[in-house]
Parts: sequence; structure tokens; C-alpha cells
Amino acid sequence: MSAPKIRLDCVSKSFGGSVVAVEKLSLDIRDGEFLAIVGPSGCGKTTVLNMLAGLEPLTSGTMTLNGKPIEGPGAERGVMFQDYALFPWRTVRGNVEFGLVYGPAGQGLSPAERTERVERTIEMVGLKGSHEKYPHQLSGGMRQRVALARLMASEPEILLMDEPLAALDAQTRVILQDELLRIWGQDRPATERRTVVFITHAIDEAVFLADRVAVLSSHPGRLKQIIDIDLPRPRGDATRRSGDFARLCQSIWELIREEAYRATMN
Amino acid sequence: MRLGGVLVYLRTMALFVLAWYVGSLLVPSKLLLPSPLAVAAALRDTGLNGELFGNALISLVRLLASLLAAAAIAVPLGLLMGRSRLWNDLLELPVEMLRPIAGIAWIPLALYLFGIGHRLPLFIMFYTAFFPLLVGTAAGAAAVDKRLIAAARTMGLSGPSIMRRVIVPAALPAILVSARLAVAASWTAVVAAELVGAPNGLGYAIEYYRSMLSTPTVMAFIVTIGVLGFLTDKGLRQLSKVLTPWAQTGAAR
Repeated sequence: MSAPKIRLDCVSKSFGGSVVAVEKLSLDIRDGEFLAIVGPSGCGKTTVLNMLAGLEPLTSGTMTLNGKPIEGPGAERGVMFQDYALFPWRTVRGNVEFGLVYGPAGQGLSPAERTERVERTIEMVGLKGSHEKYPHQLSGGMRQRVALARLMASEPEILLMDEPLAALDAQTRVILQDELLRIWGQDRPATERRTVVFITHAIDEAVFLADRVAVLSSHPGRLKQIIDIDLPRPRGDATRRSGDFARLCQSIWELIREEAYRATMN
Repeated sequence: MRLGGVLVYLRTMALFVLAWYVGSLLVPSKLLLPSPLAVAAALRDTGLNGELFGNALISLVRLLASLLAAAAIAVPLGLLMGRSRLWNDLLELPVEMLRPIAGIAWIPLALYLFGIGHRLPLFIMFYTAFFPLLVGTAAGAAAVDKRLIAAARTMGLSGPSIMRRVIVPAALPAILVSARLAVAASWTAVVAAELVGAPNGLGYAIEYYRSMLSTPTVMAFIVTIGVLGFLTDKGLRQLSKVLTPWAQTGAAR
């Protein structure tokens, strides 16, 4: 087994000295795997992602990418935010090309290559014909696609996604789960896939998408268990209906049920 | 502008002029309140001999020049104040002490410094426009959505790039609103500044015709200021629509 892509070693994060969001989290993330992190609210999922993105410093512990410590944001780690964080003053095209035009991701690309990649990415997420629309003119599902396109256009090595589908209705969500797997490359051999860290509170979503699911407990956030999801790829509707799928969802639910109940009481 | 909108304006103005006319019949002295007809005649006369347009153009150019100069300094400074604790700490106290002082309070000093001419009204209007722009820009820059900045950081943008590509466009609607406030304040300052310190301009004309006891002409110039104030605001609102189509009320998010 090769060295992990990302290694979290005894990572803790506290806010204001007293509130412990994440406690002694150790986790290896493998190259090319789709890792989902689930847990009840208050388990520090988003904090873990922000630390991976380099947006928040660790309180203690170490976090390495390809063996080097993560010290800040970097274009090799692309982030898709929970509420998309699209630039409202830029069109669909303007948002998708942003990282290529102004960030290091576009260095070495000719303007023609850049345009070609932006076009291809917009088409890939199904937004062809909406190039000149502004985010406020789009539905929630379309904004989500723009955010995905913006993430993919820069071709980062690692995709960090923070509950990207949480704000969508159930049907749109199922469709975008399928598309996410297609865009990620579930049809391609595992060595050609990008590494994904996907935060969600939806257990079925985590099981459907991921190779492994890391279950966190809350207050403070600790790693409870890592579950291998051995469902065959490519996955689709048949996966959702399978008994194995239901069994995996059930076993994860049992891990966090007690805490989830407690969270509803607060 | 749509025809319906024009009709609404005309209706409002007609009512206003009618009330004015009735009022002028009730006030015995033409010197105190001239009738709208007399003012219209004065508008026609000063319009025909070029006096109206000449003075209006001078005041308008002064206003735009001082606004641009104020924006050239206040906007970058406001961006720094809005985004940097250090700059904010450095500038907040002097700004908050100078801001409540009306521009016209500086007229006596400015008279010594600049004498009568272009420079005095330019200075007074610059001062008047400066603070709304500075404070509005700083507030706009400080209120930029943190997640947008985080998004740009994760795409590897440097600090100056983020300022240029995220902070400035995100704060632009707030900057344009503060420009509207600055222009409105400048129009109120233009008269006072030109009344005392300029050999021409709308304020000068008002003072000149006051000394001639020609109130209809005084009113004609006052009306002109009102119309210009309205038009410049309209122009800025139009500019906001063109520059920030994504931030118009109702559709914005």
C-alpha cells in the first residue's frame, strides 16, 4: 500500500480556548479515493474540511499533503463550499474561469486552451447555454453545478466538498449525486481518479458516493469508525435499491443514532 | 425612461407648480415669492442669453471634478480601512473628527488659502464628497462575504489579487451608493461655496441676482440646481445598473 495522500495525525482544533471542535483526529486519506465524512451536527466536519483547505490553522497535531505540512490554502486543493460561494458579479463563465484566469491553475495554458477547458467544464456539468447568466438568475441546482464546474475547471489534485448537495431538493440531489460520480470518474480506473473528501450529514449520500466513510462523533469531534463501502462501481439506481446499500446505511445509522437523537434535544 | 414614469413625474410637478402659483397670488410682494410664470420667463431669458447654461456647466464640471478627485483618494483609502485593522486604527479617529464638520465651515479659511476662483469651490466640494465616499467604501469593503474571500484563497489568489478581483467588485454597489450620497451633499455645498468664493457658477449667479433684487432669476437658478441634482442622481443610478446588474434590488442575492 502506497503512502497516504493526506495524513491527519492527532489533529485538534479548539475555538477561543474552550470550545473543542475536533479532538485528536488521526486519519489517512488515500490517493484517488472518495472519502466521505459523516456525523451529527456539531461533530466538526466543516472544521476538518476548512483545516484541510488551509483556511483554518490547527490548534495541535499535524496535517500533511504528500508528506509536506499544510500551511495555508493552495490551488492543488479545490474547495466547494456549502452555499456555493459563487461570485455574484460574475457570470457562469466568469465564475468557472476565475481560478484559471487569476489563480496559478491557469499558468502554462494558452488563452485558447483555457477557453476550451472552461467550455468543456460548463458542458460537462450540463450548463451549456447558460454561460452569460448571473448566479442570481439560476436555480439552486444550477448554482450547485456552477460551483462544481468552478471546482473542476482548475483540475485540483484534491477535491474538498462541504455538504455541496445539502441545500437541494431530494430529486435534484439524486441526479447530482449520479453526475458527481460521473464527473469524478467512477467509470475510469481508480488510479486516474482524483482524491475527494466529501462532508455530508446524509448517511445514504455518503454510502452511495464513497469508497470509505469516516464517522465522527460530536462534542468534541472524534473519529468513531471508518467503514469500507465495498459496493461495486459504477454505482447508480440499482445500488440505491440493493440490500447491501441498506445494510451499510443501517450500520452507520446505528453508530450515530444516539448522538443524533441527543442533538435534536438541544 | 418609460412613458408612464414620465407622466407620473409631470403630474407631480403640475400639482407643485399649481400650489406655487396659488401661493404667489396670496403673497402680496413679488420680491418675496415670484409666480412660476415670472420664474419661467427668467429661465427663458437666462437660457437664451447663455447665462444659465454657462453657469450650470461651470458648477457641474466643478462638481464632477471634485467628485472624481475625492473618489480617487477616498475609495482606495476606504478599501484599506475596510480590510486592514492597522489602517482603520490609524485613520478612524481623524476621519470621525473631520466628518461632522460641514464643508462650508472651511470657507473662511479656504478664502485665505485659495482666494476667490475655481480652487475654493473645488476644495469645499472635494471635502464634502470625500467623507461619504470614504465611510461608504470602508463599510462596503468590511462587509464583503468572507466565503467569497475564502473561495478566492483556495484558488491560490494572492492578497493583492483578492483585493482587486473580489473585494473591489463585491464592494462596488456600496461604493456607488456612497457616490450618490456624495453628489447630493456636493450640490448642497456648491451654492454656499460659489456664493462666497467664486466669480461664476450657479451659486454666484444666485448671489448676484439677489443683490439685483431679481427674485424670479434667483428662483430660476435654484430650480436649475434642483433639476441638475435630480439628473446627476439619475445618471449615477443608471451607472449602477450598468456596472452592477447583479446587485439590483429585488433580484439581488
